[in-house]
Amino acid sequence: MTEYTDELNRFMRAIVQGTDVSPQIDTIYQNYSLDIAIEIYRNNYRGNLHDALTGAYPVILQLVGDEFFRYLTRSYIGQYPSVSANLYHYGEQMSVFLQEFPPAQALPYLPDVAVLEWTCQIAYFATDEPNFALDKLALIPAEQHPNLILHTACHVLRSNYPLTAIWQAHQPGADIQINLASGGSIALVSRLANIVQVSELSEADACWLQRIQVRDTLGLATEATLALHPDFNLQATLLALLKQGVLTGFHLESTS
Amino acid sequence: MGKPATLPCVAGIGLRAPHYREVLDTLPPLGWVEVHNENFFGGGAALHTLLKVREHYPVSLHGVGMGLASGDPLNPEHLTALRELCEAIQPAAISEHLCWNSVNGLVANDLLPFPYTRESLAHVARRIQQVQEKLGRSLLVENLSSYLSFSNSEMTEGEFLAELTRRTGCGILFDVENLYVNVRNLGVDAEAFIRAIPHEAVREYHLAGYSVRDGCLVDTHNFPVYPEVWALYEYVLQQIGPRPTLIEWDSDIPALSVLMAEADKAQQRMNAGHD
Repeated sequence: MTEYTDELNRFMRAIVQGTDVSPQIDTIYQNYSLDIAIEIYRNNYRGNLHDALTGAYPVILQLVGDEFFRYLTRSYIGQYPSVSANLYHYGEQMSVFLQEFPPAQALPYLPDVAVLEWTCQIAYFATDEPNFALDKLALIPAEQHPNLILHTACHVLRSNYPLTAIWQAHQPGADIQINLASGGSIALVSRLANIVQVSELSEADACWLQRIQVRDTLGLATEATLALHPDFNLQATLLALLKQGVLTGFHLESTS
Repeated sequence: MGKPATLPCVAGIGLRAPHYREVLDTLPPLGWVEVHNENFFGGGAALHTLLKVREHYPVSLHGVGMGLASGDPLNPEHLTALRELCEAIQPAAISEHLCWNSVNGLVANDLLPFPYTRESLAHVARRIQQVQEKLGRSLLVENLSSYLSFSNSEMTEGEFLAELTRRTGCGILFDVENLYVNVRNLGVDAEAFIRAIPHEAVREYHLAGYSVRDGCLVDTHNFPVYPEVWALYEYVLQQIGPRPTLIEWDSDIPALSVLMAEADKAQQRMNAGHD
């Protein structure tokens, strides 16, 4: 380690962990002490990370309230230092953190809400992708085994709690009552016209979509889904998912 | 090197999320706007908003996360995301701060000061060159507001910036409020700073309001520009001349009309200098 990086390292640790700064930092200032200066950097550090978590987890903030959320973020920030210069990358471990955070144990659905909110943040910044041309797919004979391509903003999340309803009930202007005893949920995260949305998937649609996600061909995914869910309607599902911007295109298998 | 910055020599404002809708709906007369790069990395709503803004106004891309003086290597993903943003937006200027934010894998999402030594000068100059090569254009580097200083500095920030422009061809984004903060906090000599930097390399000014905590001026960008900073700006205009000037406001963000009134005050001072 060079003298330079050693000096930066000591400054960083003073901010993050409260250790002493290097002796090369001036100790006397005109109007305040060095402790005040370090405290300002420490407050900036924590404040910026707190704001990043507030931006990423608005539903959790509403579920637990301001005071508890502040307590929660203080603990999170102490446990997980920032490792990216992009603040939108901060907070990825919130679900794992909540699973183990004793004060949050009374709200066992919080970790799943955290996964959903993080997934929404990833979807918000996902790369732009072209629209899907259904008419082109219609021209492909089934024996050519077209592979459908999902938008990178698309994710399927299974929960033992009514996750989709919890999320929707905490969106601006929502007027939905949640029944936590209403059972599990399969949430579909997608992005249409740059707006991230969360909607509920049926078991059959989720089964088909997850097959497509692991790159089964259209034919294989449909066959497997029909075996488990005989009432699965491919055409209806395709149209519904296209409307939600879930599919961006297809390619043909090079070998078959 | 690269294309020269083409910001119009008028006042502009920092454009933040609370004003996106109003700006796009009403297209107010803004000379130009500046945004923080990291808010537009990737695709989706953010990038599309900026592309629409770009149809109506010159855009300056201002980075807060590159860490030109960091101990860790430049992050290739960050650089690639910035290059893609540059290609999409074709900004009129692109700038970064003279600061660091990461070492040994730890990041402080802040603008941190460092000692101005021959070692750090070579380090920062090399990294500015790397960024400029990746972007294919020259960078503006902004002087920092700081709450502490280093006894092992071998030169002033002004001398350090001057040497960076000589070694890398980068320009200077002169934040007048940052200089004022350093005058008050660290006893920096404002006149000496202005004498030290090459005036022809100065391509943009920043103005903002600070706050005070326990005697320390903190660069919070949450107040109007103070009379003392306007006075320093007027002195800078006399010494260096008019340059594109930005009003920055980043928290407790007021109505757009308040930002525009601040920009008008800067414009009046620029115009007065021409008489």
